[in-house]
Amino acid sequence: MASVSEMYDVTWEEMRDKLRKWREDNHRNSEQIVDVGEELINEHASKLGDDIWIIYEQVMIAALDCSRDDLAWTCLQELKRQFPGSQRVKRLAGMRLEALEKYEDASKQYDSILQDDPTNTAARKRKISILKAQGKSAEAIRELNEYLEQFVGDQEAWHELSELYINEHDCLGDLGVREAAVFHGGVCVCVCKQHTGSVVTLAGGQCLQECLARYGKAAFCLEELMMTNPHNHLYCEQYAEVKYTQGGLENLELSRKYFAQALKLNNRNMRALFGLYMSASHIAASPKVNATVKKANVKYATWATNQINRAYQLAGRGTKENKCSVKAVEEMLESITMS
Amino acid sequence: MYNRNVSPSAKKSQPKLEWRSEHTSKEKKKDSHSIPILCVDCIPLFHGTLALAPMLEVALTLIDTWCKENKYVIAGYYQANERTKDFRPNQVAEKVGARIAENFSEAAMIMVDSTRFTMGCYEPILAIYDHHENKWKCRDCNVDSFEDWCEAQKITSALLEGRSYESLIDFDNHLDDLRNDWTNPEINKSVLHLC
Repeated sequence: MASVSEMYDVTWEEMRDKLRKWREDNHRNSEQIVDVGEELINEHASKLGDDIWIIYEQVMIAALDCSRDDLAWTCLQELKRQFPGSQRVKRLAGMRLEALEKYEDASKQYDSILQDDPTNTAARKRKISILKAQGKSAEAIRELNEYLEQFVGDQEAWHELSELYINEHDCLGDLGVREAAVFHGGVCVCVCKQHTGSVVTLAGGQCLQECLARYGKAAFCLEELMMTNPHNHLYCEQYAEVKYTQGGLENLELSRKYFAQALKLNNRNMRALFGLYMSASHIAASPKVNATVKKANVKYATWATNQINRAYQLAGRGTKENKCSVKAVEEMLESITMS
Repeated sequence: MYNRNVSPSAKKSQPKLEWRSEHTSKEKKKDSHSIPILCVDCIPLFHGTLALAPMLEVALTLIDTWCKENKYVIAGYYQANERTKDFRPNQVAEKVGARIAENFSEAAMIMVDSTRFTMGCYEPILAIYDHHENKWKCRDCNVDSFEDWCEAQKITSALLEGRSYESLIDFDNHLDDLRNDWTNPEINKSVLHLC
């Protein structure tokens, strides 16, 4: 099989620079990292100087992603030799155990790091990742909440928590008994033990509240992120999506406002543009709004549709798919002006 | 670990690949009332958070329009979960499946069992669910569920070896950059080449 340098006609310096760029941009293109990194390590180790250690780390993690335990092991040995007793290397050893699904051993590894250094956030977060990998999302949520009480500025953690809440599928019934929540026509319907088999619908109290609460908690996490990162359009846009999903007129209006805010921060955020269109049209179509509100939202939705149309035309090369998207958008516009 | 999966084969054996975790897709079918239903294509949707409504609605709307243009019908929904060992349908899958079933009563929900995935694709790793009385029931899925499993297996394996998943475009990619084409014409061409 041809080497990377042969196939792409690149020098070892270019390969090294590529790895650095991927490191800096936090890319998780593990297969490519393994291809480039393995060759660099095998053929050009002596030329890399001190860079080699960070490359070993980068390649090791990528190797774990690709089930290349042989390569991961090699990298780990080199790092252990160079940095004996290092917490950072211990964490890598733990990650390898995780990849082999030896979760108890991995957990012990992280515990030993925490014994020496109780403030080691990396080890704590790995332990939470283990819970997530085992599907123990309720526990992961609990641990992550505890972690955030101590490390309140950790944005990555807040974001992870918001995702855990959004994907959390368990529902806490009235008596705190976990039962499955079933989605039905966009509404969360709880099947609770106390109702033995019957279904509690939107009108029924506590059960549904707990069920929807997780979206509220996800929103809270995103609010934290927006507060500390007011210029980040992605957090704004995700917050808007959560509000939209929660449903109800008030939440829809909030969602529209935050989609609009995201657009102000980045006028090329297509999700925000589509979101603005969707929220405004749902509000306009709602029987609960008065004529003024309806008119305003029709205006917003129409504006959004035109922007979407423009965006597709700018991107378009007249491809078949593109023409259909444009058509779909035009149909959306028609449906708005008709209502 | 990337999750790579095979979707049901169709006329002229055109299997599609899904990759990365939590990939979802819908299938289309040529409008016909004969049984059984033949899925001829599938469109990958998302690889991030699936449980949020707005982008899903956008995707459904746009793809629905595209289907009508091509005389297709959205005939099902398929999902591959992030955690390998997790191959049961969750609320998202049930919700989307039910939505599709509203427009097409014989809609299928398909879950991918990643624990049985191999690069050789020697056996089907899908679980097909049908909608009966508001519940999803699993039916037996074997090589007879596919029009031409042998072809499908060969083509899919070849595509995997060739890493065609690196160029797969889903709806998320499209929303990131509108020039990304979620109908994946290049991969379609590769599939036809391998037929």
